Amino acid sequence: MMEEQTAAVDTSFIRGMLEKNKGKMKLSLSVCAHCSLCAESCFMFNAYNKDPKYMPSYKFIHSIGKIYKKKGKVDRAALEEISINIWDRCVLCTRCYCPLGIDIPSMIALARRICRSQGVFPRYD
Amino acid sequence: MELSAILSDDVIYNLARGPFVWISLSVCIVGTILRTIHFISLTKVEKRNIRIQRIGSIKQKSPRNFSLKDLARFFSNLKLTIIGTSPTTIVVSCIFHLFLIITPIFLLAHNILIEEAIGFSLFSFSERFTNGLTFIFLICAAYFLIRRIFLPRLRVISSAYDYVILLISTAPFLTGCLAYYQAFDYKSFIILHMLTGELMLMAIPFTKIYHMVFFFVGRFVLINQNTLGKGSRAW
Repeated sequence: MMEEQTAAVDTSFIRGMLEKNKGKMKLSLSVCAHCSLCAESCFMFNAYNKDPKYMPSYKFIHSIGKIYKKKGKVDRAALEEISINIWDRCVLCTRCYCPLGIDIPSMIALARRICRSQGVFPRYD
Repeated sequence: MELSAILSDDVIYNLARGPFVWISLSVCIVGTILRTIHFISLTKVEKRNIRIQRIGSIKQKSPRNFSLKDLARFFSNLKLTIIGTSPTTIVVSCIFHLFLIITPIFLLAHNILIEEAIGFSLFSFSERFTNGLTFIFLICAAYFLIRRIFLPRLRVISSAYDYVILLISTAPFLTGCLAYYQAFDYKSFIILHMLTGELMLMAIPFTKIYHMVFFFVGRFVLINQNTLGKGSRAW
């Protein structure tokens, strides 16, 4: 279950976080060849019947990629949608393999930090 | 001067054959160097002596002690890599990237023009051979296109930009091939060939084609679990 639906999102704080990590994030997003060769390196992709939504590149593009594309101006609903990709579909085991050398786990970890800073994270109680 | 005269084939031909070549080459080289400097500046020297234990790697052995069993284990471990999971794509990808580089560099017609311009050129492959390389390259590009259109895993991460990049990198080969065979109007296609080639050169530092440099820095210079070289820097 996620945090309260109504709380506002501090977009300037998110922008600050993006700015702090801009170099690596922008470069990683811009060089990703969308080749899908990272797919099989994710055990969740294999476990979930090779569902493309479990591909490391999908999770990376549809989390930090989305936040960066919107320059941090995301609403709570968008963050909650993103949280599915970075928590439900990723355990951050860091085993994903990009042939180009993109550090996908650190990008997903950044997206997690952003979501967590806005109170969007899974609760198990 | 009338617009039609300005846009006449000769004017564009001379521009595409002359100044545009130097402009695009300069943009490509300077842009790539600057972007790479920026990339390197985002990383720092890693002083710690990090031992990288690669998954499935075999211990370094001298060739004399290397048994058939080791060789079998090596190939068996390859199955765990992308060579094992996507063998066709890896082979096609290697051919595509290799031919993308070597075909234009060792093309006879290019080298004649380079010789005329600077008085020096590299050796050239025969026209028949480069023709074959171009055909194989185009087949590889078609494979990537079909894969992107039909494979669900690629469709979910593809946008128009991915198709544009494939078009930018393939267009010079396609137009060059059509011009060579004079399938349509030769002059129009050779102009198109030069312009698309120049566009591709200029696109290298500013688009995702930059992955050609990122790969070497990311895999050989940066230290991570998948470092191919020794690695000396970290993010």
